[in-house]
Amino acid sequence: MSLAVSRRSPWSAGTSQARFAYALVLPVVLLLAGLVAYPFFYAIFVSFTDRVVGNDGQWIGLANFRYLAQSPAFAAAIWNTIVLVVSSDVLKLGIGLALALLVNQRLPGRGLFRSALMLPWAMPAFVAFLTWRVIYQPIGGGLNLVLTGTGLWPDVVDWLGQRSTAMPAVVAASVWRGFPFWFISILAALQTIPVELYEAARVDGASAWQRFWAVTFPSIRPVVIVTALLSSIWTANSFENVWLLTQGGPSDATIVFPVLAYFGMQTQRIGEAAAVSVAMLPVLAILVFAGTAMMQRGEDE
Amino acid sequence: MIRNGRWTRRQILGTTLVGSAGLAAGRRALAAPAIVKGSKLTFWGGLIFSEKANKLQAETIRKWGADNGVAVDVVMINQNETVQKVSAAIASNTMPDALDLGLDLLLLLSRQGVFLPIDDLFDSVGKAQGGWYPAAEMATDTRKVAGGRTGLPFGITGNLLLRRNDLLTKAGFSKPPATWEELVTQCVAVNKPPFHALGLALSNVGDGNTQIGVLQAYGGRIADETGTKATIKSEGTREYLRWVKDAWDKKLFPPGNTTWDGAGDNNAYLSGQTAFIANTGSVGIAAKSQDPELFNATLYSSLPGGPKGNYSPVGPNVRAIPKSSKNPDAARALLEHLAQPEFMSAYYADAIYGPVTKAQAKFKVFDGKDAIHAGLLDLVERGTAPAYPDVYNPAFADVWDNFVVPKMIQRVVIDNWDFDRAMDEAQKQTQAIYDKYK
Repeated sequence: MSLAVSRRSPWSAGTSQARFAYALVLPVVLLLAGLVAYPFFYAIFVSFTDRVVGNDGQWIGLANFRYLAQSPAFAAAIWNTIVLVVSSDVLKLGIGLALALLVNQRLPGRGLFRSALMLPWAMPAFVAFLTWRVIYQPIGGGLNLVLTGTGLWPDVVDWLGQRSTAMPAVVAASVWRGFPFWFISILAALQTIPVELYEAARVDGASAWQRFWAVTFPSIRPVVIVTALLSSIWTANSFENVWLLTQGGPSDATIVFPVLAYFGMQTQRIGEAAAVSVAMLPVLAILVFAGTAMMQRGEDE
Repeated sequence: MIRNGRWTRRQILGTTLVGSAGLAAGRRALAAPAIVKGSKLTFWGGLIFSEKANKLQAETIRKWGADNGVAVDVVMINQNETVQKVSAAIASNTMPDALDLGLDLLLLLSRQGVFLPIDDLFDSVGKAQGGWYPAAEMATDTRKVAGGRTGLPFGITGNLLLRRNDLLTKAGFSKPPATWEELVTQCVAVNKPPFHALGLALSNVGDGNTQIGVLQAYGGRIADETGTKATIKSEGTREYLRWVKDAWDKKLFPPGNTTWDGAGDNNAYLSGQTAFIANTGSVGIAAKSQDPELFNATLYSSLPGGPKGNYSPVGPNVRAIPKSSKNPDAARALLEHLAQPEFMSAYYADAIYGPVTKAQAKFKVFDGKDAIHAGLLDLVERGTAPAYPDVYNPAFADVWDNFVVPKMIQRVVIDNWDFDRAMDEAQKQTQAIYDKYK
């Protein structure tokens, strides 16, 4: 009897421990299922229906996606979203990295400088982009006043009203609002690099450029990848920047997925609006998988 | 004030003051719905530009509740969020007992059978108040889609043409432009960049859709008379595009108007950058407090016409009772109460709405001394039902919400597409939209 007990005992203890562990994890699993998985899969389901406000609708297969695919705005939204995400992220990386490297030096008043650099990110998006709208205004806008006043450019430019300047104007405003996140992330990573590594590199005769590539960049790379991933997802999903500046215009010069989804919601066709959001998923999924793979490779190395 | 449908001396006096004996006769004709004392009622009111009007509505409803022993919960909601809130409330079965809403949502939800028919209430209020204005009556007719009338109109909104009378009079124009061509002529006379006279939005916002009425005035149509086949590519549309392009090439539009937000034309007018805008009248209210000089220099009229007609669409706002209401009798009584002249005359004085019944046109606020309300009355009397002469159906609303016409114009003036190419794209997109609703 005692032998039987002693044989069963370890197995029972293990099972019991496992059950206890599962019980501890269960609330989180339920929370994630309820708050993340359910809305996610439900949105995918809705995108295959003709659901409208007040009516659950019927299963209509790929009809919403077929309608979207033939829409001239859809192709423009794909291209514009890619342009906005890539150009914004490259610029945010450049500005964030440069400022982080600068502020990482022992400079007088750098604490104040750091705080000031965070202000664009702290400002509500609504206020920030409406301010940019005012800055871009053709008549009385700050940018035109500076350019014409200083003689840098003689004519008033309709920054948001012409195809050639509308997207660059949206990108510039988005970069201004988003670079502090890059700056603070990279700065945090820079501060974890041991000073000894730089001293050793100097002793080996490495130039500043070589020190950056051999010491700094490998150390901040994982942070840059995570920041790029998050920033890309946020930019791809951002609505206020485009809506408050151009409403997707002029023509289709700045139409992006979230604005397209908003138009769908305005028609009260929830299924169609969900289809726009679902259409973004493959792009975002590629970004997530690529980012995760790069981080994994970095860890392996 | 109103207790079980009986009259008080104050009510009689009040009604006399608003100058309509017919209203009084009608009041007696209304049957008082049974109200259960101690019951509860939730009302969602739509917030409008005037804080005073919002407060008056909420207080009137609360007082009605107190007088009738009904525990009233008044929630004033941003009208831009009505769709989202109603959508969520339907899904969670938490709709209020009565609510304010716009025509689009009324028609959509009436098709889903969300609202109670209130034909008797509609008829009795109309009869008591000299009859409904045709634009309000036609636009809110849900009988075909819901088997009955589901909305009780309470205010007409729509775009008026605001003009700088001071500048135009100096240039020799004392009357509002009767046609869109005349509008361009008047604009040319006062246009001096950076002052661009024609402050109409051509962007992807509601104001941009004012251009649909202009297109129709030139003979263009969104779809055929059955409301199923897109007909946007036509000689009428071509003529209209010629008008826009001509005005654009003359630099009459302020720069940036292809990306204006909902306040773009307001800001341009209030900052003295333009001579004409199409607006609901909210700009006039803003000018009254911010720039009295501009307010005094501004006159209002209904929109001009074109060679094929004059189309000034009106947008009625309505009140409705969801079928899910747990207190429909009290909700009907409240709607009836809110339709009475005592409340409506005070409400219109602060709200930027035109009247929905002919008796309301006799309210003091519409006596012509207030330029904005005079313009709104003109709009109600000369205005047309939404979409008319097109058929107002969900497909038309979809074309409206996707800004097909403003985008067609942007193809011409921004992308320099020729008229045929721009019309082809709009035609294809419109047909795809109409096909969704077959």
